[in-house]
Amino acid sequence: MIRIGLVLFTLFFMGCSEHLVRVMPYEKEYFSQDKMSLSPLGERAEQEGHIFLIREASAGGESAFQGGCGCR
Amino acid sequence: MSLKYIIITLFSLLLLEVSSLASSLKDSMSFGINSYNDNADVHVYSPTLSLFKKVSHSWMIGVKMRIDTISAASMQNGANAGHVDAVTSASSADSALYDDIRFAPTLMATYDDGDNMLSFGAYYSTEIDYTGQAGFINYVRQLNEQNTAVGIGFSQSFDKWNPVFDRVLPNENRNERKIDFSINQLITPKFSMQAVYSYMYSEGFLSSPYHYVLQDDIAKFENYPDTRSGHAFAIKGVYLLNNTNAMNFSYRYYADDWNIASHTVNVEELHDFSSKFMSGLRFRYYTQTKSNFVQEIGNYSLDDSYFATDYRMSAFDSYTIGIPFIYKRDNGDKVTASIDYYQTTENDYVKSWYGIDNISAVFTTLTYEFDY
Repeated sequence: MIRIGLVLFTLFFMGCSEHLVRVMPYEKEYFSQDKMSLSPLGERAEQEGHIFLIREASAGGESAFQGGCGCR
Repeated sequence: MSLKYIIITLFSLLLLEVSSLASSLKDSMSFGINSYNDNADVHVYSPTLSLFKKVSHSWMIGVKMRIDTISAASMQNGANAGHVDAVTSASSADSALYDDIRFAPTLMATYDDGDNMLSFGAYYSTEIDYTGQAGFINYVRQLNEQNTAVGIGFSQSFDKWNPVFDRVLPNENRNERKIDFSINQLITPKFSMQAVYSYMYSEGFLSSPYHYVLQDDIAKFENYPDTRSGHAFAIKGVYLLNNTNAMNFSYRYYADDWNIASHTVNVEELHDFSSKFMSGLRFRYYTQTKSNFVQEIGNYSLDDSYFATDYRMSAFDSYTIGIPFIYKRDNGDKVTASIDYYQTTENDYVKSWYGIDNISAVFTTLTYEFDY
């Protein structure tokens, strides 16, 4: 599984193609708005990431680091 | 690590500095307070502070500090909120305002030249019965005129248990490793998506040192397998519905070698009430299967290798509903706040351990952020 991930990652990393240029620089104004962020409230994302890690048995899927604690 | 690799690393970092383009790093600071309260009598109040300072055009260093003041009946009697603890013989601390304080500082450094972002750091936390220490590194590369961003992250923790009562654990360490691969892609001027894959591996003492199975003829501490590996795949997106509304959504699938599999769906609608104030509504649904070693309550035998009584090893669902707030001041400072209600479905293990049908909780955040 990791190998597949590495291969896919490498393919993207090597530049793919210009087909992935979908939005020109002058069209990016909407992405500067708070509501267009994938994580509009950073502190909430960090806190709930910790809470769900404690209250549930799943993890991952976040490209962010979560430190461990004894409540797990 | 040999001198050669250190020199190569330093030289690479120097090259990154020389080739720096348009960094988006800023001197910034934030402080706030978070809270968590549930019906299992766990109350946590957490002041937070973060400070980031540019040290050159492309480099920034920062520190984040979180202090959890924890009050929990489970800590006063050794984990079981509903019963006098006959197994652990832990003593009560009723007179204290809180039962534990967890200090969790994170030191980090970030390099950003507009096309490359590298961040790395170290985390340390200490509480009465647990010490956490970890290192992490993340790298993000912008491609295709910043329409695509690929990232890779790695973290490794070296945690250690120190139970509050006299119990010798078979292994007091808990080490966890996580590798993430992520891809962000702008789809249209109003739509972007992200995919994340995570691989996680844990080893050491993976159960709680306090939870125990108590049946007619059995009194055993929990015992889980000493390794666990899991995979998570998540896909996320944000879509601008119109000038004042955006929809944020995500789905995650998780599976591990304890046979726990889960699905998580999160949807959030955000609305600009004015140029300064935004709010919305979020809903999250989570469902998981049980582990392959947990048994029905009362069904353990002395021949069993593993014992589990923690509800997290059983099948259950949970729901979260919440409201976020963002208020921007004229000078650019930002106040963010959120309140969320969390509830699990009814669960026999919750009933048995905590004496309540399900876990329900309210958690909040309040943060003030500014550049300086």
